[in-house]
Amino acid sequence: MMTIIEECTGDCRPRVGVYALTSCYGCQLKLATVQKIIDISNMVSFESFYMLSSASKMAADVDVAFVEGSVSTERDLEELMEIRKHSRILVALGACSVNGGVQSWAEGEMDHDALHKCVYGDSKLTMQGLQATPISKHVDVDYYLPGCPPEEDEIMYFISAFLIGTFPEPKDYPVCAECRLAGNPCILIERGEPCLGPVIVAGCKARCIGFDVPCVGCRGPVPHETAWFDSLAQTFLRKGMTEKQIRQRMKIFGSHDPNIERMLHSILGGETE
Amino acid sequence: MRYVKISKENTYKFLEHLKATGALYAPQKISDRFYDFCAISDVHDVEFEYDRTIRPPRRFFHLPDEKMFNFDMTRHELTPVKTQAEHIILFGVHSCDIVGLRIMDAEFLDEQKDSYYETRRKKGIIIGLSCLPDEYCFCNVRRIEFVDAGFDLFFHELPDGFLVRVGTVTGHKLVDPHPELFEEVSADDTKNMELFEEKRSSMFSIYGNWDNLRYFLELRMDHPMYDRESEICLGCGNCTLTCPTCRCYDVKDLPAINQVNGERVRFWDSCQFRSHGLVAGDHNFRATKKDRFFNRYHCKNAYCPETTTSYCVGCGRCTYFCPAEINFKRNLMEIAGYRGAV
Repeated sequence: MMTIIEECTGDCRPRVGVYALTSCYGCQLKLATVQKIIDISNMVSFESFYMLSSASKMAADVDVAFVEGSVSTERDLEELMEIRKHSRILVALGACSVNGGVQSWAEGEMDHDALHKCVYGDSKLTMQGLQATPISKHVDVDYYLPGCPPEEDEIMYFISAFLIGTFPEPKDYPVCAECRLAGNPCILIERGEPCLGPVIVAGCKARCIGFDVPCVGCRGPVPHETAWFDSLAQTFLRKGMTEKQIRQRMKIFGSHDPNIERMLHSILGGETE
Repeated sequence: MRYVKISKENTYKFLEHLKATGALYAPQKISDRFYDFCAISDVHDVEFEYDRTIRPPRRFFHLPDEKMFNFDMTRHELTPVKTQAEHIILFGVHSCDIVGLRIMDAEFLDEQKDSYYETRRKKGIIIGLSCLPDEYCFCNVRRIEFVDAGFDLFFHELPDGFLVRVGTVTGHKLVDPHPELFEEVSADDTKNMELFEEKRSSMFSIYGNWDNLRYFLELRMDHPMYDRESEICLGCGNCTLTCPTCRCYDVKDLPAINQVNGERVRFWDSCQFRSHGLVAGDHNFRATKKDRFFNRYHCKNAYCPETTTSYCVGCGRCTYFCPAEINFKRNLMEIAGYRGAV
């Protein structure tokens, strides 16, 4: 699990690949536009990064691959397999890659063919679609860099950690912690807003709540099974939310988390639809 | 101790003088229900009748996120970060929070001197303010509803101003240059202070002395309350991050992109988080949510020898700011068998 780059001497810049599966390309745009992108490109060799160079190629041999997007087509799946084969370290980059993203919201409620028909009618696609899934459903993932898009300081932390030969330590505490330290009033307590801050992993410095918008959960659940959806569902019920609202809210970005349905079931009972 | 009186109007003038002395922070309303210590630009924004701030005053001296030093890995050198030396003036600190700061001092000055904390704390000026309890307050059973140390000045509300206790030499130096703002305390003022004290004492929802609480907690470690309430707990850390006496922090090295430099930072941690109890070999001495929940109840009710109080000062924040509405006071009363309104 703890794959790191060994020490080396001479000209041995780590080779890095940045790839996109089905996604909005926002994560690699974020990576391409961090303030220190020039410093990064001096320290690493980008073997593949379509947003920076059209000379990129799919599945170059790299030390670290950053993969954004969910597996939503057969082609995504094939490409992901190739990327894994050619990469020493694989980092899931962003909400789609880490948790499936909003495109997997309907997971479990509709089968893929029904979903396709609902959105595209009878039109044909040139590729075979799949139910959108996080990349960890298909390959081993070494590290997770969540966010929609990921935060600049975390991108820098990950790359810096790889460069000095250690591994990035994931956060295991919720948005609430950063929200309190940021000095925001709690809109869940005060107004009963459907804020997912208590179960979503920190790192965004509670940006949305800072703008008076409740957390929608883009960064995904706190890891290590410490996202207590059951307790939050009880709180939401007390605040007057309906079972349907609670379930939908938690699944926008988290529909693949097996704990959500299990924990909600203990509080709300089974799905009604 | 010296006592002086100041009118409400002159208090605003005094606050203007304080602003010129250093960075002035005082309670302000930040939303419908919440207050915070905010940097004051207009002294008329200061809220004299507030219940509790969402962030505890310890954050001014033990920063929530602090760079400790820069390092150079090729030259094996550390460059300490110089702590800023501006005066930090906290106006309107309630007695619970003053004791909270003394508990912080016990940890970061007496037990193990922390230069980062010490530099800021020495520059700190603490001005207390009397208050009336709401249903969340239980500072009285913690024996700290009236403080006799830990402040430079303490403002006691009177019908027509404040009776000010001058607690330190620094306090004298704040008052002495402004004789035009202060007057002598009259017998009526003292009577009014007595009436305010009486009124406050009559308003608590519970009475007594909780000094034996920690023994009941030890004797009833298997109390069913822990199971019941930790089920509801979100593990979000709000209780510890808003607490005026939580002192846990974590330390992390952030390497720079050049593979040479980096910085060591420390930031507030919480015993409610999984990694707080995580040690080498992936062992965790507080592996479950219940373990972590249990820990806070026992840590907060332990005894601080320097202040001769419990680490919990009864400010009510952990209940007021709990999204799951877990009632700390009620749960403690249940374990110890204390009677009174919850």
